[in-house]
Amino acid sequence: MAGAERSSAEREDAVVEEWRVLSRLGTIAAVAFWGWLAVRWANNWLLPPGVGVDPNDSFIDPETVRPVSESLAFAVEFLPELADAAWLTIVLTVVGIALGFVIAVPLAVARVYGDSISSTVSLLYTELIRGTPLLAQLFVLYYALNLSQYFRGLPQDGFLPATAVYVALIGFTVNSAAYQGEYIRSALLSVEGDQLTAARAVGLSKLDGIRYVVLPQALRFAIPGWSNELVYLIKYSSLAAFITVPELFKVAQGIASENFAYTGVFTLVALMYLGLVVSASKGMSVVEDRVAIPGLGGGTDR
Amino acid sequence: MNEATNDTDPLLSVESVSKSYGDEQVLSDVSFEMDRSDVTVLMGPSGSGKSTMLRCVNRLTEVDSGEIRLGDMVVTDPSTNVDELRRSVGMVFQDINLFAHLTALLNVTLGLRKVRGMDAETARSLGVEHLERVGLGDQLDSYPGELSGGQKQRVGIARALAMEPELMLFDEPTSALDPELIGEVVEVMRDLAAGGTTMLVVTHEMGFAREAATDAIFLEDGRIVEDGPPEQLFENPQKDRTAQFLERITSMYDS
Repeated sequence: MAGAERSSAEREDAVVEEWRVLSRLGTIAAVAFWGWLAVRWANNWLLPPGVGVDPNDSFIDPETVRPVSESLAFAVEFLPELADAAWLTIVLTVVGIALGFVIAVPLAVARVYGDSISSTVSLLYTELIRGTPLLAQLFVLYYALNLSQYFRGLPQDGFLPATAVYVALIGFTVNSAAYQGEYIRSALLSVEGDQLTAARAVGLSKLDGIRYVVLPQALRFAIPGWSNELVYLIKYSSLAAFITVPELFKVAQGIASENFAYTGVFTLVALMYLGLVVSASKGMSVVEDRVAIPGLGGGTDR
Repeated sequence: MNEATNDTDPLLSVESVSKSYGDEQVLSDVSFEMDRSDVTVLMGPSGSGKSTMLRCVNRLTEVDSGEIRLGDMVVTDPSTNVDELRRSVGMVFQDINLFAHLTALLNVTLGLRKVRGMDAETARSLGVEHLERVGLGDQLDSYPGELSGGQKQRVGIARALAMEPELMLFDEPTSALDPELIGEVVEVMRDLAAGGTTMLVVTHEMGFAREAATDAIFLEDGRIVEDGPPEQLFENPQKDRTAQFLERITSMYDS
């Protein structure tokens, strides 16, 4: 009996130890990945030319990779370009999520608490956006409405290299707002109705009750769904390639077809997307823990 | 009811209030009055309309007919600003309904800051004062999830009290609590009553009603069956229904 207990305790220790090693490896990988990206970006855009490292230096010697894979060793030389392109992928995702959130909150509040007009408008918007392909939406904005003509005056180099980037940002914002709105709506519905009654009884207006009592709880409930949306958007941002935005996928496609090096280049690109996605979901779970409130749903036990 | 009243107007007057949900008549022709510092207890079987009556007073529920006045405010007048009305009426809920994402202190200060427009410092000191008053000066930074039911309800009372309302409504404040936690809440309510707070209380706590109430009203099927001073109602009920009901809850609660 005692022996069985000890062995199960030992097994638990082993699992904990294993987890600790994995988490340390994860941290090392994350620091290496983001460190590498940050150095590349700083080198290309922040440091004056001639200072810093050679813009074409990939930081990784192809010869060390060659024993693993010939095609990877070839693709490694294009890492600097891919790092620049990853910047745009991140911008599209982060700005799309952030601006989309700003629209999503009123959309969701209108659906749950609004009068029949505002909730119908919100419903129509949501169904229209969720019911049509993102790619079609981008095409409408870029080709049919030719929105980029309005952005000619804005900066078009360095961080934001084309007017199409602005169009893509609008597309992702509009699209993500509809999805985030749904996540927030279901989170609003999971806040107990009496919370708003209690807020009203204290003398808060309905809008203030929603703002100070319901939303702070609902947004915490929305985090898991929200991190799902973030992960989707990282990958969906590749659709911007089809309206000429030189983000990660577009650049990779160009390099691959020019050099006929699909395997190596797309393996690297897949790894970069994976790095972004894992970082995003890890980041969101850290946020979830940070804002967790004892006794309120959401957050993980620590 | 025929008692000679002072010349001063009552704080709360409820006149011929009726309310129905569809076919179901929840309140019919209910009338009563409360003076300042009165403690009125509403009793009656479940479904008798007690909670609805309470909610009509701060307009969480709208009446169908009749008139409710609070001071010089006509509660039932649609043009009366509900937010202003609710500033004068505190409410304590059966389900407590503390703001789940806020600490005890922030539960109390939210209304002070956002409704009464106090700055953070003033609100905080007032919040601390009211939490100390209900014996929770050591739980300022606890979240509702970290408090016992009795502690939560005391925060609920402090939250309502801090707004310095003219009238406090209690909607079965102890019904959702474990029996051993009821005492601490009742004790706080007793202190309030003794301190002159005007209270309209839906409860079956006979001890509280006997000791602290100035009036007791027995409601059934949305009608006032009997009302009067608690000693009269409890010791010498005039109606059979009242006697039956009191007997039942007495045997239930005193066991």
